[in-house]
Amino acid sequence: MSIRLQLLLIALTTLVLPWAGCQYARELETTLRRSQEYSLQASAGTIAHALAAQPQSVLRDVADAQPFATPLGDVYVYPLNNQPLLDGYREDWGLAAEPTPLPTATNLRARLLAGFADRYLYVYLEVDDAGFDPEPADVHPEHDRFDRVDLSTRWPDGALQSYFFATAAEGLIEAQTLVHGDDGVDHAAAEPRIQAYWRQTSHGYRLEARVPKSLIGSRLWIEASDGGSNARAGFMGALTMRGGRIFSVTPGLDTLLTTFIGPGTRATVIDENSLKLGLAGAVALASPEGQPATERSWYRRFVADDISDWPLQVAAPDRVAGNNITAALQGHGSAEWLRAAATRDALLSAAAPIVVDGRTRGAVVLEQAGDQLLDLRDRALTHLFDLTLLATALSVSVAFGIAAWISLRIGRLRQAADAAVGSDGSIRLQMPESSRSDEIGALARGFERLLARLNEHTQYLRTLGGKLSHELRTPLTIVRSSLDNLESEGVRIDQRGYVTRAREGTLRLHAILSALGAAARVEESIKQAERVSVDLCAVLQSAVEGYRGAFPTALMELFTPPDACFMRGAPDLIVQMLDKLVDNAVDFCPPSGTITVRLARNAGNYELSVDNDGPPIPGAMLDLLFESLFEHRQGVDDKPHFGLGLYIVRLVAEFHGGTAAARNRADGGGASFTVMLPML
Amino acid sequence: MRKHIAIVEDEPALRENYSAALSRQGYQVKTYGNRLKAMQSFTVHLPDLAIIDISLEDEAEGGFDLCRDLRAMSAELPIIFLTARDSELDAVSGLRLGADDFLTKDVSLPHLAARVAALFRRIDALKRPDNAAQTLRTGALSIDAEKMQTTWNGAPVTLSLTEFWIVHALARNPGHVKNRQQLMDAANVVLDDNTITSHVKRVRRKFQHLDAAFDAIQTVYGMGYRWVG
Repeated sequence: MSIRLQLLLIALTTLVLPWAGCQYARELETTLRRSQEYSLQASAGTIAHALAAQPQSVLRDVADAQPFATPLGDVYVYPLNNQPLLDGYREDWGLAAEPTPLPTATNLRARLLAGFADRYLYVYLEVDDAGFDPEPADVHPEHDRFDRVDLSTRWPDGALQSYFFATAAEGLIEAQTLVHGDDGVDHAAAEPRIQAYWRQTSHGYRLEARVPKSLIGSRLWIEASDGGSNARAGFMGALTMRGGRIFSVTPGLDTLLTTFIGPGTRATVIDENSLKLGLAGAVALASPEGQPATERSWYRRFVADDISDWPLQVAAPDRVAGNNITAALQGHGSAEWLRAAATRDALLSAAAPIVVDGRTRGAVVLEQAGDQLLDLRDRALTHLFDLTLLATALSVSVAFGIAAWISLRIGRLRQAADAAVGSDGSIRLQMPESSRSDEIGALARGFERLLARLNEHTQYLRTLGGKLSHELRTPLTIVRSSLDNLESEGVRIDQRGYVTRAREGTLRLHAILSALGAAARVEESIKQAERVSVDLCAVLQSAVEGYRGAFPTALMELFTPPDACFMRGAPDLIVQMLDKLVDNAVDFCPPSGTITVRLARNAGNYELSVDNDGPPIPGAMLDLLFESLFEHRQGVDDKPHFGLGLYIVRLVAEFHGGTAAARNRADGGGASFTVMLPML
Repeated sequence: MRKHIAIVEDEPALRENYSAALSRQGYQVKTYGNRLKAMQSFTVHLPDLAIIDISLEDEAEGGFDLCRDLRAMSAELPIIFLTARDSELDAVSGLRLGADDFLTKDVSLPHLAARVAALFRRIDALKRPDNAAQTLRTGALSIDAEKMQTTWNGAPVTLSLTEFWIVHALARNPGHVKNRQQLMDAANVVLDDNTITSHVKRVRRKFQHLDAAFDAIQTVYGMGYRWVG
């Protein structure tokens, strides 16, 4: 993995910042929720205490703690916002509630809905009665059988009043009541203050009645009876049963509640039956009803809490319910997070019990939207995200820049390291970056030290030949001079062989030492060489003539330009170089082969080449041939070889500002050594 | 009277070998291992010829000092320098210490004996009157083979013994190419080619010192040298 990539990865770890931000935001939200719970719960508790102090303005009947029981005729009367039209339809009541079935022992089914509006009690009754039994024209309620609805009420003082509704045909009717006549017989008399609309339907009839509140006592009986079958639904035996109680909102409680709550909060007071006693305020949900919360910050997608397992708000027109409300009615106030029934938004519900005289008589329920928290969090989170993304982008680009810079420097160092040892064996001791104080600088300095040591070593190796040749010379001289003395003293004929062999040995040793020191001597003479004007053609002609004499077995050919080829150079060195090239060629040239010495002008250079018909040189060795101490000859001959000949060629070529190269001839028939010498 | 030769050489084995060889030739040889001992002896009694190694024990150039002192005591005393390496020849020659010959230590004993004999011959010849028959003249060059004296246009050229023999060998047959081997034989030395080349170079320089236009010794590349007179 490249450094660039590694640093990029490191930089990407700054992405942990937004993640941590999310975690923090969640924590924050949890904390905010908790504190919202506490504060709402505290508010609910305060309100509950305040209400408990004035139970008469909250409860229907402070003394009556009997539970709400529909089977016993208890009725919840909804508060209506406006007076409905008496028309037998309940659509204009503005209520989501369904009518409540009346208890019945027969097959007559009736359903009741009641509501208060202004000064009136409205009663809506649906009766499933297939056969209509109209009221006779001259009714005798005691004997006649007809479809009727009875409504009785009793005042706390025990006074009882009964009314009944019946009609011969559908339409607006008045209630009737029995009046004890002078004849001692009860007669039906109209009660015009109580009006109703009787509407026939396909499977029965509906009655919508309006009764002034002043005509209603504390107990209420409502009953529907079928004239044809004597079937009944509702509450019989008004005198024997206790009668239905009227449950409804407590007048004035709404106003009272309003003083307790702030905006965005809905307060509901319920009695021990969970029935609503009062209601104030409204929950401000963040998203309008019916529109899903999609237009929030896109970060929400990554950090939104999963609230799908929260319970749904239970919303009924007459009551509120929920775990916390159940708990509150048992005396333990608590808060609970819900999802709003309509929008699925977070909703906080806190309930506190209203305790009157040691008994839980109801509860205060406060509801608040949780979305204001989300808004808060979103704002913080959006800010955080923006900042951390900016920071990440910044650190990524900085890291990338640094990585690029570092890999550039390392690359530079690597290139310099690659090129430190030149093809000519020279060592460049200077490395880039070495002046810097950081680790790369230290690495570069390390390289420099390494190269310096390598250079010393190389220098040592280079001079080793010369030193060896020098150091071995004295002992060799001792041996030779001893041999000289021995011979002069007279050696026995049978001993002469040994002396001769010893002398041959010293000669060979001397040759070896000379060869070893040759490069050093050439380097020495190069230092002292003087450049003069030289005619290369003349030098070559003379030299090749000499070689023909020296190597009579080799066929030697010389090609030169027809005119003189002058250059500034050291002719002795040039001839020495030529000696080495020709030596080399002679060594490799087969007995019948030809050695070709060629001089040509080539783009500002004199191109001097010596070809032989010998075997081709292995490709990998071509570049190494001119190195000091490189020797690739396999054959054994009587001359010592230390791979210095071609090194000397290179030294001389370089002294003249030229180059030396070896290649195999294109025809594969031999090798060619070429020296380029600038004409200057 | 037997000629008295002093050998100053710090390598005992070589010293003894040289001494044995020269004694065998009838010379009286005294050997010294360092400069101090040699000087103590020389102040008492000068030898007839001195063979001095350049580096003496811990004095890397002690031989030079000894030579200088010796020459101060006697202008005629033949002095032969021995050097450990060829490359020093140039330096030694350049110092103009007044030595008569410079040799590398690997000179063979017969060769050494030959030049000792030659130097003694020259001493004798110098004491005799000029013998025109011994004088070789070619062009501006005139060589007295016995006294081993060389003049160019009448001006003396101070050549070491080796150099003198090289010039003599070349000038004896002007126009003839002498290869390196022939020159070495003439000079009674065994040298490698480079050393011959540098000897020739030095000879040229000495002539050119007298006559900038000197061009009598030609290099025949690949073969050798010839005198063009």
